[in-house]
Amino acid sequence: FQSSDPPPPRRPLNFAESHENDEEKQFRRVFQQLAGEDMEVSPVELMNILNKVLGKHGGLKTDGFSIESCRSMVAVMDSDRTGKLGFHEFKYMWNNIKKWQAVYLKYDADSSGTISADELPKAFNAAGFPLNDQLYKLIIRRYSDEHGSMDFDNFIGCLVRLDAMCRAFKTLDKENKGTIDLDIKEWLQLTMYS
Amino acid sequence: MSGIASKLQHDREKSHGIGSNSHAVKYLNQDFESLRRSCLERGQLFQDDSFEALPSSLGYKDLGPNSSKVRGITWKRPKELCSNPQFIVENATRTDICQGALGDCWLLAAIASLTLNKEVLSRVVPHDQSFEEKYAGIFHFEFWQFGEWVDVVVDDRLPTKDGELLFVHSAEGSEFWSALLEKAYAKINGCYEALSGGSTTEGFEDFTGGIAERHELKNADPRLFKIIKKALERGSLLGCSIDITSASDSEAVTYRKLVKGHAYSVTGAEQVDYRGDQVQLIRIRNPWGQVEWNGAWSDRSSEWRYVSDGDRKRLTNRCEDGEFWMSFSDFLRQYSRLEICNLTPDALTGDEFKKWAESEFEETWRRGVSAGGCRNFPDSFWMNPQFVIKLEEVDDDPEDGEEGCTFIVGLMQKNRRRMRKMGQDMETIGFAIYELPDEYSGQRQVHLKRNFFVRNCSAARSETFINLREVSNHFCLPPGEYLIVPSTFEPNKNGDFYVRVFSEKQTAFQEIDDPVACHVEKIDIDEDDISDRFKRLFGQLAGHDVEISAFELQKILNRVVVKREDIKTSGFSLTTCHHMVNLLDKDGSGKLGLVEFKILWTKIEKFLDVYKEKDANQSGCMNSSEMRMAVEEIGFSLNTALHQIILARYSEEDLTIDFDSFVCSMIRLESLFNIFNTLEKNGSGEIELGFMEWLNLAML
Repeated sequence: FQSSDPPPPRRPLNFAESHENDEEKQFRRVFQQLAGEDMEVSPVELMNILNKVLGKHGGLKTDGFSIESCRSMVAVMDSDRTGKLGFHEFKYMWNNIKKWQAVYLKYDADSSGTISADELPKAFNAAGFPLNDQLYKLIIRRYSDEHGSMDFDNFIGCLVRLDAMCRAFKTLDKENKGTIDLDIKEWLQLTMYS
Repeated sequence: MSGIASKLQHDREKSHGIGSNSHAVKYLNQDFESLRRSCLERGQLFQDDSFEALPSSLGYKDLGPNSSKVRGITWKRPKELCSNPQFIVENATRTDICQGALGDCWLLAAIASLTLNKEVLSRVVPHDQSFEEKYAGIFHFEFWQFGEWVDVVVDDRLPTKDGELLFVHSAEGSEFWSALLEKAYAKINGCYEALSGGSTTEGFEDFTGGIAERHELKNADPRLFKIIKKALERGSLLGCSIDITSASDSEAVTYRKLVKGHAYSVTGAEQVDYRGDQVQLIRIRNPWGQVEWNGAWSDRSSEWRYVSDGDRKRLTNRCEDGEFWMSFSDFLRQYSRLEICNLTPDALTGDEFKKWAESEFEETWRRGVSAGGCRNFPDSFWMNPQFVIKLEEVDDDPEDGEEGCTFIVGLMQKNRRRMRKMGQDMETIGFAIYELPDEYSGQRQVHLKRNFFVRNCSAARSETFINLREVSNHFCLPPGEYLIVPSTFEPNKNGDFYVRVFSEKQTAFQEIDDPVACHVEKIDIDEDDISDRFKRLFGQLAGHDVEISAFELQKILNRVVVKREDIKTSGFSLTTCHHMVNLLDKDGSGKLGLVEFKILWTKIEKFLDVYKEKDANQSGCMNSSEMRMAVEEIGFSLNTALHQIILARYSEEDLTIDFDSFVCSMIRLESLFNIFNTLEKNGSGEIELGFMEWLNLAML
């Protein structure tokens, strides 16, 4: 399986503005309100946004996005070590979250409100991440509860990170060698900031 | 958007020469050749969807979508404007550039000087394009942007009003390279309006990659004549001008036949023997090709009668060509400003010029970690990025008594013009230079701490702290090692910067930073070392499976820390507990046995001791400088980038780090060092990972 391509480089702001449909314009206004003057979202702001918007949704079991999970999501998306997300990063993430939310609802076969260990591979596959057993095991141990069930916030947190790590690999493996070489500084920067 | 990876990849590419003039980076990944080919194949003219013929490309305020200025604007291609458009006629000349409805005269003056140096011009304006051969409505230009050359593609739809170009146009109206160049430059800056207001030196630099210096002639540097001579020997672009006091002054001609508010170039500097005295002369050119100074040392002045025949023959050329000599002292009196753009070695082919040695770094100021502010803030100043320059050889200056090494330092803040639309403008920046005492000689792996700066005075500094894109200054210091510390004026201002040094002789310019290493002591514990009391406690906590899972661990730790009032904590997250188990779980069970748990306990006790000891102000949490000390005390040595990452990842909004975040970051660091050491290929300093391997480690 091949990781997805890194998104295209940022276009100038005015490009984004002139190409937005009404929904996107509305979204930008909301973002401006939430992100404040600096137009950047901190982990706490992200947590508030996610919990406000997703909390209302029935059928999703979640104890709310934790600050830890939001810090991790900001970290994997941030490229300039400011600890905040700009509008473009946020929008990219938001579109993914919407996509993955649909996957979550569809693959919760027993309508328990969570994704159980045996529902997980299909759900991840549908989200675009066909992994091997070893990785599924690791992910369940790390992101699911004691009984192996993954609730909505952990599901999203895990996929945001997985997606970012796939893109990181692709970015560094520019010539498609299939392997990347890292020195200690690169290794620590990539993994500490996640 | 690929997070830190994109930054790392950028650094890698840069070290492989991508971004040099011969390997320009393709802006927005747009490739001129392939775009043009596909347009020709489809028989269509190029339409650039990343800089569209729409109001938003014009501006945001005065030129904003609903402003009166943009009413009636239509975008037209040159072939719709005149019957026989030319890209560039013969050679580019200064009359190709007439200002339009935009306040970017600074840019036009720079473009005008560019036309005086063909070699430099051909780098910015590739000549492989025209309105005839292979015409597809697409053109490209190369600019220097913060350390790299960028190739920018544009379509040729230009904003017009009543059938005339709105912005830059040529005097004849049929030559379009300058208008297209302006469009490309507007594209990389976001829109046309972003170009409004600036200094010529900014344009000079973006077209050459050189370092520009400004000299106010009222308080001229006593070494200025020598600086000019050296600049000329090095092929630099030199421009001088006379300030205007009112708009009506513009291009007013004085009775000495000098033009105010007009950009002249400096083309020569000489010293001659005149009636037994040495007189310094300077040669200036009026780009009009006429209107020359008529004072002392001008073409027909009597002064030339009293110099040697040789000098007179060599220097005088009595015709009306716009070029003339004047004495250096008259020059200082008559003119207001001199701008010198020093070129990089790769801009100059041919042997007639001497070349500067150049070296450069990109770095960042980040709140709480490396944005230390200027020397007025001794508690944080030391946290700024630090660079060392080693000056070994003195200049070749046989005639000059003072021995020294000449170098120029330029400090530039990145991408600010592009952010202006979002209300951000320039930070106030500058730098200080310290002489490194002998005991630090040759050391590059020690970031100097507070005490050094409290005890030592700076040897030199930037003339001012100023909110310009770049601060640059000329220095001449005795051989030795010097520390350069760039900073914003106030602490805690985020910013990205680019610092470079041009030196007369080869010098070593390096960033100094602490090495990245882990010296955490391994805790060696046997079951026999563990007290019965601890064993009993473990028995109670672990339950019937005699092991502690991450879930159990979370409950245990939170029960303990919640009672403490001397440390701030929001409770241990499950993630932290997973990390702890991963670090110590030797048998792969995903749970901790007695000995593993005892080791963890010992570690946490150590973390608590260090945390309390380093919490100098007893706030219950670590502020950013306390954190730096604590990280070292635990046994890690980290560079600035990693300190930035820890703060960005683990701090609260107020930049403090609480106890659980502290523990989490330390545990995670140790795990990551362990993984690296396990995977490192026989001391190569690198690890090689396949995709699945990478995910297995990165998702932990």
